[in-house]
Amino acid sequence: MRINLISLAARLYILAYLLRWLAPASPYVALGPPQMVETQHPVVCTHTRLTDEVQEWKIQRNMEMVREMGTATIVEFFPWPYVEGERGTFNWAHFDRIMRHAQNQGITVLARLGLVPAWARPPVHEKVTNMTYITEDYYDDFAEFVGQFVMRYGDQIEGVIIWNEPNLGIEWGNRGVDPEAYTELLRVSYEAAHAARPDILVLGGALAPTLEPEDSGSGMNDLRFLERMYEAGAGAYFDVLSAHTYGFTNPPDMAPDPTVINFRRVELIRAIMERYGDGDKPIYITESGWSDDPRWAVSVRPGQRIAYTLEAFEMVEDWSWTERLCIWNFRQPLDQRNRRDAYYALVSSDFYAKPIYEAIQAYARGWENPYQP
Amino acid sequence: MTITITFTGIRQTIKQGQTWIKKRPFLTLAGLILVLALLVGWRWTRPGARFGPLDGTWYRVQVNRDLYVGLDPNYPPFAEWTPDGITGIEADIAREIGRRLGVETHILIMGFDGLYDSLYTGYVDFLISGLQVDSEYKDWVHYTRPYFDAGQVLVSRADSPIEHIRQLDGGTVAVEIASAGDLGARQWQRRLHSLDIERYMLPDDAMRAVQNGEVNAALVDTVSVRFYLNEHDGLVMASKTTVPEGYRIVLREGNFRLVEEVERALDDMIADGTLEEIINQWLPTSKTQRMSRR
Repeated sequence: MRINLISLAARLYILAYLLRWLAPASPYVALGPPQMVETQHPVVCTHTRLTDEVQEWKIQRNMEMVREMGTATIVEFFPWPYVEGERGTFNWAHFDRIMRHAQNQGITVLARLGLVPAWARPPVHEKVTNMTYITEDYYDDFAEFVGQFVMRYGDQIEGVIIWNEPNLGIEWGNRGVDPEAYTELLRVSYEAAHAARPDILVLGGALAPTLEPEDSGSGMNDLRFLERMYEAGAGAYFDVLSAHTYGFTNPPDMAPDPTVINFRRVELIRAIMERYGDGDKPIYITESGWSDDPRWAVSVRPGQRIAYTLEAFEMVEDWSWTERLCIWNFRQPLDQRNRRDAYYALVSSDFYAKPIYEAIQAYARGWENPYQP
Repeated sequence: MTITITFTGIRQTIKQGQTWIKKRPFLTLAGLILVLALLVGWRWTRPGARFGPLDGTWYRVQVNRDLYVGLDPNYPPFAEWTPDGITGIEADIAREIGRRLGVETHILIMGFDGLYDSLYTGYVDFLISGLQVDSEYKDWVHYTRPYFDAGQVLVSRADSPIEHIRQLDGGTVAVEIASAGDLGARQWQRRLHSLDIERYMLPDDAMRAVQNGEVNAALVDTVSVRFYLNEHDGLVMASKTTVPEGYRIVLREGNFRLVEEVERALDDMIADGTLEEIINQWLPTSKTQRMSRR
């Protein structure tokens, strides 16, 4: 009797296996001949969101549209848990796919590294943590990941960004932020990256523009956080300072003011670098932009968004100390009209090129702006 | 290896299965009950679950006499967090619906990105926050009829009113650069014999061009139009939007009784003019600005 049940189960399995072949095949993705980015403004950069993109043809389409926009550099997020879900076992398949398509389209990657796998965090019955929670015990493991990453992709990337917005509590394990601890994480990562490849650029900082006071539980003013990083000796552990700067409702030329968040706040960041004797290093603006969300009090009109973005590119090109201005974000993987980030995107999730895309493309490639008033 | 499946083999297997069941009736029954329980559990726990004639949320609303509403107060004049509390069109609509249901409305403020999650987890009973139909959520949410259409509407001179964009064939329309009106006008440009599009940085610039007689009409968003027309004479807006953008209340589909009651309250508010009264309180309007419906 038992044998017959097994036999029936086997037959059902075979039937199910055969029926599986009736499902439509996933689109075939051919890499195609290698491409080159045509641009007259290498400063133009964008932050893609391919981390959670499952389908390869979408990764390819993203990269093609980035290239067609005249953008030679992207920032892309490579989370540590995605590759080292089990300690010591690295699965690079998804990262390889992204890198393969970036390289084929002639695009250079600034790799943002971060997040923490479950095995490097306390068990949930001991402490509930989010994926940005890291303790000093695991800094070396993170640095090991950084080193492995640089060793594998060193000739395809321009640099690695160590962590994201460590001056926000939500990006630092929902705890009080700690510039000295971040500096230590930066130090071990810097050493591992340079041991793997001496000419790789290590980008530190990536601080969120915020006015939170120093004793706030949810974050720390980016200017103060940077000062404390320098006081802890961080200046020796990055080659480029990564900065995030957003305009919100303010135009790009609005004068910098420590009490205001605007585009030129990055000049205050620069002043701190110079004050600490780090003026010979460049800044890469790895996140920036304006939102044209029609239902948000801190957004701008679509035409203003275009005008402000193009003006920001021109300003950055005039600054000798900034080499990249990366617009957050190129495209969101899902249709998220009811999410704020969708209104920062340059391309809709179904690959419709928004007017802002066309305007940046025209700027980067030296064409006439189709959205001139 | 050759695998042969014959009808005799299948018949034999079924017969053996029957024998097995007859020998173990209680075990079979227990198995069936377990499968049924799993199915019921799945139906019961999925978001917006509907199970038989029960609507647990409506039951709670009735017993506790309270209604929890989620919104993001970052969009004046629809919702704003002021020293006087949460104010605006959406806050007033939510409170009016609560009043009509005979329950107390509690407005819970949250970030825009967390709205659907709060509905999904049952933290709130409905959302009212400038939300539009989104196919991503269609399997578990219900969108009511719109309480406001914030879409792109035609504005023309009162002495030569234009109700539909087809009337602009051979004419010129002003739009705000890169707006939904700009995209909508470009679509109509392909459908008409000729339509010139003039682009302006802001909606007010486009409407000023209509006033100055530089263009035949402007296609701009309803909210901007209402503010502009309140301060400028001689313009009218069409009775319907050319590019609709309906703001809707969002509920869990499984709360079918609550859905019915909220829809009914909204219908009543439209019928007796309360909704328009609320909107007019926050969005200025003048008696000459809207063309009568045709």
